Amino acid sequence: MEVMETSTNSPCLAALTCVLGDLSQADGSASFTHGNTSVLAATYGPCEVRMSKEILDQATVEVVCKPRVGLPNCADKYRERHIRDLFQATILVNLHPRSSVMIVLQERQDDGGLLATSINAACLALLDAGVSMKFLVAAVTALIDKDGNINLVPEEKPSDVEASASLTIVFNEKDLQVMGVTSSGKFSQEQYDRSVSLCRKATEHVFKFYRESMERKLSKSV
Amino acid sequence: MADEVRTAQPKEFYRKYLEQGVRPDNRELGEFRPTVLDIGSKNGSCISTAEGSALIRLGNTIVICGIKGELAEPKTETPTEGYLVPNVELSAVCSPQFRPGPPSEQAQVLSQFVANVLKNSQCVELEDLCIAPGKMVWVLYADLICLDYDGNVADACVLALTAALSNTSLPVVRVDEETGKTETDFKEEKKIQLTCTPISATSAIFEDNVLLVDPTRQEEELSTGLVTVVTDGKNICSLEKPGGSPLKDQQMRLCIERAFQRHTEACNLITQSQGSTLSTLTSPLVDR
Amino acid sequence: MPDTRRITGPEETQSPFAFCPQFLAQSAEAFSDGKRRDGRKAEADHRPVFLKAGLISQAKGSAFAELDKTKVVCAVYGPHEVARREDFSMQGQISCEVKFAPFSCRVRRQHVQDGREKDLSTQLLEALEPAVRLDSFPKSQVDVFVTVLENDGSALSAAITCASLALADAGIEMYDLVVACTARIHGTSILVDPSFSEENLKTVSGEKPGGQVTLGFMPSLRQVSALCYHGDTDLDVLSQATQRCQDTCHKLYQVVQDTLVKSVEQRMNNS
Repeated sequence: MEVMETSTNSPCLAALTCVLGDLSQADGSASFTHGNTSVLAATYGPCEVRMSKEILDQATVEVVCKPRVGLPNCADKYRERHIRDLFQATILVNLHPRSSVMIVLQERQDDGGLLATSINAACLALLDAGVSMKFLVAAVTALIDKDGNINLVPEEKPSDVEASASLTIVFNEKDLQVMGVTSSGKFSQEQYDRSVSLCRKATEHVFKFYRESMERKLSKSV
Repeated sequence: MADEVRTAQPKEFYRKYLEQGVRPDNRELGEFRPTVLDIGSKNGSCISTAEGSALIRLGNTIVICGIKGELAEPKTETPTEGYLVPNVELSAVCSPQFRPGPPSEQAQVLSQFVANVLKNSQCVELEDLCIAPGKMVWVLYADLICLDYDGNVADACVLALTAALSNTSLPVVRVDEETGKTETDFKEEKKIQLTCTPISATSAIFEDNVLLVDPTRQEEELSTGLVTVVTDGKNICSLEKPGGSPLKDQQMRLCIERAFQRHTEACNLITQSQGSTLSTLTSPLVDR
Repeated sequence: MPDTRRITGPEETQSPFAFCPQFLAQSAEAFSDGKRRDGRKAEADHRPVFLKAGLISQAKGSAFAELDKTKVVCAVYGPHEVARREDFSMQGQISCEVKFAPFSCRVRRQHVQDGREKDLSTQLLEALEPAVRLDSFPKSQVDVFVTVLENDGSALSAAITCASLALADAGIEMYDLVVACTARIHGTSILVDPSFSEENLKTVSGEKPGGQVTLGFMPSLRQVSALCYHGDTDLDVLSQATQRCQDTCHKLYQVVQDTLVKSVEQRMNNS
């Protein structure tokens, strides 16, 4: 498959780059880079599922997160659970009962916002594989520093102020509602509300990026 | 008749109750199950071999937390910080879905969740656990064992851990600077000071629009998503929504409000419970 | 090899007890001021026992036993299909697992089951098998899981009593309940139901090292289902100790029966 690359620059987000269809054996693959954080996602499916994981009326979504170095540990399992529950609600699972959709995510580089980058990479890989979804999902990470300012991460110019909290929020394209949240550090409710509105605006750029990537891919492969 | 409908068509069963704004176990949508907490008497903990312990019963869910202290060398990059190592065990005792053997994925996710809560809330100052900078620090192992799995183990674990930490006392350890010899003095005690009390509140999303606080095991299985909010009374320490159905902004606000309410309830419970005996395990069951 | 499935702390840790000389020095004296170390007067005194059945809602049968400070929880699941088809047999099977909680002993234990726990699991199985009607559940398996929450001596006998109470609570057909008791032989004294410090008494110089015997007994049938002994004693002292255990088991039997009746009454009131 031909290799496609698109990038976009938005006022608040760092550069987004993606290469679709790089892996020949996978049904769909995407190598997504956001600033300095890069994740390679590959999806397989819908295909046969193990008897123990079979669900009678739905497809089973399986996710594997592989760290850059070493064996997967509890933190990777935690990320896997987030991504799996997210895509179990996003993919049209009722179309493929008793089968499995497997998503494998390989961390290449982590400069902040790894979970968000993994989710975006997985969504692009599913698009590349042609798996039917209810809507697209996109994730953005916001950092709240000690003064209460909120910045999106990874940033074009990393600020010197230390972060006191960070929030990764996932939105869906249909009505821009919150699909998933994960946080670290302490923050107030007001800071959370501000982060949500800031991230919401930023995800519009990410959705636009998805569309552009798919347009480029489909316009060239005839 | 009700039992048959409950087994054959659980969603229909729940829908009928939720239409009236109440749940099958007579709770309101925003109500927690009766919580019983045992932290132990003044001269010891409910588990006397542990440095700190707590047993919590949230409806039928039972979680016991034991804190053990050990000594180790600190990391070179943080010579004055001790360690805090939580672990959740979902053993074969608590439910037929868990088999004996290495921790299941669910147990690993819960362990990571509890570790995140401790890190985010910074309830224990790691510098407090230092004995001799660069040479010896305390390692607090917090082992949480679930004895009965009836849903919402996450909230039970956080509450048990906070309660156990609030009553942990370590013996005094002295390192002689000249000889390098270490000596433990069991007659003196050093109590762990908590900077804040993190308490969590989990809600399950049922059929995309109803939020059920403190779900039972059956409610968790029927739910289409879960939201966990951990607060320390003033700020939010952790907000977790691992996928699942989308949430409107005002629904999220409702979850956060409930978490703050729960915090007040739970703190009262902790202060009241300091000084009861291990009768928690043996008090009559709820809806057996 | 670090355990990637758990949150790990530093690789090497030491217990604070290793640096306390008083803890390391074990006493050789079983009695002080005419009383045993934990305040009991006679050698044959058993600690107060508290038992409760049916406390784990998810399990088929469950029980909790408390021997003063020793606390044990047991859950029974089954009968269900055997794990492997090759184990298909006309007699049912029981599988036992005993696990000490990491905080149950003075020195923290590891999460992985070690050799001692595996030994206890086998001894528990040997004690329970003769009492259960195995041919009432052919081709099936019953799982017994025991967790020791706090160990202050006599953990095995507490586990056996708790497990047979849980099996009865689960409705598994049994010939009789198994009640267990431990006795520590130290010099010339036979200490019934030893606490942890009594189990680790140092040998008095000039006398035989002594030993420990655990007896699993079925009181109605007057049959012994398990006898575990380790140590070095004279044969007549050992048979005396076994007799003392038997007498104690008869006394405990009443408590176990009452607990079972109470739990059945409670279950009938709830339904």
